[in-house]
Amino acid sequence: MKSTLEGEFRIGTESDIVTARRFVREAATTLGFSLVDVTRIVTAASELTRNIYQYAGSGVMRWRPLHLAGRSGLEIVFADQGPGIPDVEKAMEVGFTTGKGLGLGLPGAKRLMDEMTIESKAGEGTTVRVRKWLKK
Amino acid sequence: MPAENISVIKVGQVLLVTVPPDPDDETVSALQEQVLDAMARHEAKGLVLDISTVQTLDSFFARTVAETVQMVALMGGRTVLAGMQANVAVTATQLGLTLGHADTALDVDRALDRLLASPSQGRSR
Repeated sequence: MKSTLEGEFRIGTESDIVTARRFVREAATTLGFSLVDVTRIVTAASELTRNIYQYAGSGVMRWRPLHLAGRSGLEIVFADQGPGIPDVEKAMEVGFTTGKGLGLGLPGAKRLMDEMTIESKAGEGTTVRVRKWLKK
Repeated sequence: MPAENISVIKVGQVLLVTVPPDPDDETVSALQEQVLDAMARHEAKGLVLDISTVQTLDSFFARTVAETVQMVALMGGRTVLAGMQANVAVTATQLGLTLGHADTALDVDRALDRLLASPSQGRSR
């Protein structure tokens, strides 16, 4: 596995969830995040990657370092062309799930990251963008 | 890829299982099956899940662990989760994970002490 601060990884199988976690762990560690923040980021990525696998079947994860207004961080985007989320607000409620999970994925990932945006259209797919900033 | 190797070690009437650092879903599910199988085979009274090397505890993993705790309890056993790392504990809490009725211990020694010291408790639950 190449060590990269940015990259793209296709998610299509269950074991890709573990590979995605490794990419994210590597990038976050290299960027200088603390162990707790690395764990937060990797765990959020695990939830969001699993969402893609479970609900859309396949999709892509892209990550890149951020340098904005003197701040540095990591951005990860999870995009799929699956069924979309009919009610994003509902999906953000803890305990709400249409799958077999705990319903913690989206709200949990939001708590673990500093920023999260969701764009979703029924029938067209979902893009979840999360960011974590390095503490100075 | 087949599930990672999981070994179930018997210590007295307690089973000790070490969870691999970064298990995939398949490995987590396989772990549950092996644990239940071993509980029945050895008529064990307790289970120690050593999670001291685990780096990512996500919701799937947590759900499976919570389920396993419940299943072991139905079989008359007690489960102690041993050695959760501080960073994992922080993350699991923020994610909103609960691990059911699992007892926890700082390390495997303390977990074994607790289970081996109170053999009767397992059957009474």
